Amino acid sequence: MSYWTNISGGNPKSLWPSASAALLDGIAKIVPAALLVELIRIVYRSFAEPEAGLDTGRMWIVAAVLVGWLAVMYGTNSILYDRSYKAAYDVSAEGRMKLAEHLRGLSLGYFGKRDPGDVTNVLLGDYGQVEHTISHNVPQLISAIVLPALAVVGLAFLDWRMALAMFVALPFGLLLLALTDSLQARLSESHVRAKNEASNRLQEYLSGIKEIKAHRMNGQRFERLRFSFDRLKRASIRLEGIMGPLVMGAMLLARSGFTIMIAAGSYLLAGGTLDLPSFLLFLLVGIRVFDPLTVVLMSYGEIRYSAYSAKRIMDVRKELPPEGGAIVDPTGEIRFHRVTFGYEDDKPVLRELSFAIAPKTITALVGPSGSGKSTVTRLIARFWDVQQGEVSIGGTPLREAEPERLLDGISMVFQDVYLFADTIGNNIRVGKMTATQAEIEAAARRACCHEFISRLPQGYDTPVGEGGSTLSGGEKQRVSIARALLKDASIVLLDEATASLDPENEAAVQTAINELVADKTVLIIAHRLKTIQYADRILVLEQGRLAESGTHDELVGQGGIYSRLWSIQQEAEGWQVK
Amino acid sequence: MAAKEERQAEGLLRIAGQKKGLLLTASIFSILSSLLQLAPFYAVYRIVEEVMAGARSPSAVDGDVLVYWGVVAFVALVAALVALYIGGMCSHIAAFDILYRLRVKLTDHVACVPMGYHTRTSKGELKKIIEVSVERIEKFIAHQLPDIVSAIAIPLLLIGYLFGLDWRLAVVLLVPIVVGFWIQARIFAGEAGQEAYRSYQYAMEEMNATGVEYVRGMPAVKIFGIKAESFLTFKQAVGSYRDIAMRITMICKTPYSLFFVIVSSLFVFVVPAGVLIASGSPGNQSFAITLILFLLITPSLSVPLLKLMYIGGGLRDIVEGNKRIAAVLSEPIVQEPDSPRAPLAYGIEFRGVRFAYEKPDSKHYKQVLTDVSFSAREGEMTALVGPSGGGKSTIASLLLRFWDVQEGEILIGGVPIREMGTDRLMDAVSFVFQDVHLFYDTIEENIRMGNREAGREQVIEAAKRASCHEFIEKLEHGYETRIGEGGTYLSGGEAQRIAIARALLKDAPILVLDEATAYADAENERKIQQGLIELVKGKTVLIIAHRLSTIRMAEQIVVVRDGSIVERGTHDELRDKGGLYEQMWVAHRSAASWKLGKRNAAAGTAEDATKNGREVRARVLLD
Repeated sequence: MSYWTNISGGNPKSLWPSASAALLDGIAKIVPAALLVELIRIVYRSFAEPEAGLDTGRMWIVAAVLVGWLAVMYGTNSILYDRSYKAAYDVSAEGRMKLAEHLRGLSLGYFGKRDPGDVTNVLLGDYGQVEHTISHNVPQLISAIVLPALAVVGLAFLDWRMALAMFVALPFGLLLLALTDSLQARLSESHVRAKNEASNRLQEYLSGIKEIKAHRMNGQRFERLRFSFDRLKRASIRLEGIMGPLVMGAMLLARSGFTIMIAAGSYLLAGGTLDLPSFLLFLLVGIRVFDPLTVVLMSYGEIRYSAYSAKRIMDVRKELPPEGGAIVDPTGEIRFHRVTFGYEDDKPVLRELSFAIAPKTITALVGPSGSGKSTVTRLIARFWDVQQGEVSIGGTPLREAEPERLLDGISMVFQDVYLFADTIGNNIRVGKMTATQAEIEAAARRACCHEFISRLPQGYDTPVGEGGSTLSGGEKQRVSIARALLKDASIVLLDEATASLDPENEAAVQTAINELVADKTVLIIAHRLKTIQYADRILVLEQGRLAESGTHDELVGQGGIYSRLWSIQQEAEGWQVK
Repeated sequence: MAAKEERQAEGLLRIAGQKKGLLLTASIFSILSSLLQLAPFYAVYRIVEEVMAGARSPSAVDGDVLVYWGVVAFVALVAALVALYIGGMCSHIAAFDILYRLRVKLTDHVACVPMGYHTRTSKGELKKIIEVSVERIEKFIAHQLPDIVSAIAIPLLLIGYLFGLDWRLAVVLLVPIVVGFWIQARIFAGEAGQEAYRSYQYAMEEMNATGVEYVRGMPAVKIFGIKAESFLTFKQAVGSYRDIAMRITMICKTPYSLFFVIVSSLFVFVVPAGVLIASGSPGNQSFAITLILFLLITPSLSVPLLKLMYIGGGLRDIVEGNKRIAAVLSEPIVQEPDSPRAPLAYGIEFRGVRFAYEKPDSKHYKQVLTDVSFSAREGEMTALVGPSGGGKSTIASLLLRFWDVQEGEILIGGVPIREMGTDRLMDAVSFVFQDVHLFYDTIEENIRMGNREAGREQVIEAAKRASCHEFIEKLEHGYETRIGEGGTYLSGGEAQRIAIARALLKDAPILVLDEATAYADAENERKIQQGLIELVKGKTVLIIAHRLSTIRMAEQIVVVRDGSIVERGTHDELRDKGGLYEQMWVAHRSAASWKLGKRNAAAGTAEDATKNGREVRARVLLD
């Protein structure tokens, strides 16, 4: 049942119009079969009573009805066609929009955790699969279930013993299929593992292509990749090889009913409790009654595949958006109170971390990579909720904060900057959608990007991002600072904003950042300790714990971690390679 | 258009041709299975015959004959399924083997094309082609190819058989088949159909593009609280995709339903003709029996004919993927010389090098290097400095022949690198770039990449010199530690040091360095620096410097801007010149003394800093 719920995006009722049309169409198809039986009965009568001859008059009537019935079948087929495609496109369009809306509510942490390619695939590819399954497999499934069921009931009235013989093996076939399911799950699992392995190796290969070229490890010589492709090949063949006979066995069991029925028939005929015309009827129905079921079994793989797609969609939709309606005052104090947090349950990144950041001060986070610095900034923006302890701003616990309003009060400048496929002007306007052109230019000037933008072929109207002209890392960085300036939020989070820039860009970005942080509550992560020498407070993190805190002078005086880092860096500063 | 698609289909057949034997077997068994699946209907016919013969005295009906044919039907079904399985396995083994070969071929090929291809093409796209587009071929080879063969063979055999039984009825049967296919062909060939299909493709691409942007931009959308716009564009695209898809569905509706009803009800057309003939000779009982055989078998003709239509639709998908695969494979590879020349010395010379990443007819065409000539003497250090985007990194990658230059020449020890061949060139040059890539393997193997013949001691020796022995020893499994994916992740700085150990082990006479300390924290930075000092000893070094203080002592500093060399000399010479280098040096000094916040000495407004270098310099001097 969950299959129907999943493929219809949680609303199985939306499949009803197409399912009822499939039912109608299936019933319409019974009539020609019945007429065929009638035709053969007429011929039979001419054999039983040769003196009466072939009743061609009656045959003409049957022929006329048959031909006329074509129009009816055309009608039901058109209805089915209309409804199943409409259902398919409606379910997928509606589902895509709903999912898109749902994604908007999810926490930023969710997008950090999942590969955007995966999410896109659910939104586009998996719904495409669902579309196909609703337009093709759903009508098939309906016929496969309904037609044999109707036949059982109808034939049982005629002769229950023959009907029983015909369908006696069907439950065993279905049972085998059900058993197959768990085996299939196991086999698919190892197949999926092989597939993921190959995918990871391919990713590794393509990411390292420069080194592979340089160390001449391409193609055949990069054995790990070749082996993983080979294992995938074997796993795929094994899956086909084992699943095939099982599905075929189910098919065979179901169909063996036909032979059992003939045997039963000949026994009953001999006993005189069955007449020949009834036997003929069972014979003619029996040979076709399992056809719809066979069609479904033939596309069994496809149906399962779409069930996975549907499940992936539902998994995303089950992801809960962060809740809370409290309005945060971003000009208040930021407080971490005994915060313990990890991305995975058993690996805490922050442990019992407590500190407070006074409004309108500059606080720097320092520590080796992996000490949890970036995690702190992400928790302030509520990418995630903490597992223990509490993060609060202006006295409001973030767990209760309205997520979108919270972000209104925060500006973030990170190393990687996302530009929309739009003009550069609109990319800055993102900071404040109502900004005028003059405001945008003013922000761009303050962020040191007006000059390079003016040099672009179409100035502020130059398209950037995917398919547009590309900006250098430093230029993107400055665009993101212009955005932040325009946004003018009370809290500013800076994560390694200047790490990978060349001197010229670096100086410009630095100036821009100084514009940004005036009169704001600032939290900055920087490797170059000199940069943060004059911060109001420096927090030194080590393995998710607060190791030291104080001003630069205090920390240097303490002779702890910070002071050691400081002296190493002083030394490194004057370093020459030769 | 049609011709092009035909060629694509040919491409598919050529791929399939590699496994001719298996696929031929698969096709034969596929036909055999289809024929065997007809046997039960023949059995029914024989039973009907027996029943008819016994119609006058039901007790005369021989029960054994009935059961015999019932068993025949069952055995035939078993045989049909066995044949189906054998055929299916043959075609699947062939298919999966072809996928395997194709993937190996593709990955081999992409490592032989110039690096330019990889910067142009996103990794994700390439990965998708190697995974998804190749996967689709499986459907074609394993399912559709044998299906097509049997879907064509079975109707031909059947119609032939039916002609033998009664040619009049068989001719009547041909009429609806021909009409059905004619109706089908009309929509696909018609202008309206083609047009609709094109706009469908367009709407789908539009939806995909906005969908990708929607998801990728989501963090930015949330951070800046953009309420509706990006959602609206996606919503619009989804809506118009549905509308166009529905429009196409409506165009196809009548012809499709007609085709479907006609082809799936073929036997209906036989009935009037049969009755007509029977009316001519009412006593002809053997004709009546033949008519029954016709009526029993014709429905089996419908199945393969309907299948042919579905396959036609499915082929389009694969053709699209096949095009992408073909495009990757037709990407030209780096040209290797017939007889590689070995250089005897290791000085580097760039002679009038001009270069652009794009082809001249591309709309993004931009000359990156306009005229670069310089030589780096053997055993000396040459530093490349200049504003970002000026061409420094390009020069370094050209030396590795990641791209070929359009004009001019690059020589090592007097031998043009084009004539050296990739193997010799790579033996002569090692490099350490900013973005180090470590492979999913042990640390030891990752270092050994530098020199595959190196023994354990040599690996450890290199690690020691690159100051990474210490942290490797601290890891749980030491040199056996696996990197990435469930193994250990190294920090950027540690990865850098591994890369340096790799280069030390390789010990090539020429070293290309992209100053690599930018991402590292203080402790790592110091260690990387120690490693680099070891590494550059006695080598011809080409270094891209970001922090000018690093390369103050280089024998030669080459200043690159906008694709050409503007200054060159030693640090002191260049400072005296008072040109670009001097400006950069001043900027560097002021950046190094930058401090965040209100008390920053060097912080003026933005305009000050960029426009007014002199003032900044004055401040630095005051410092």
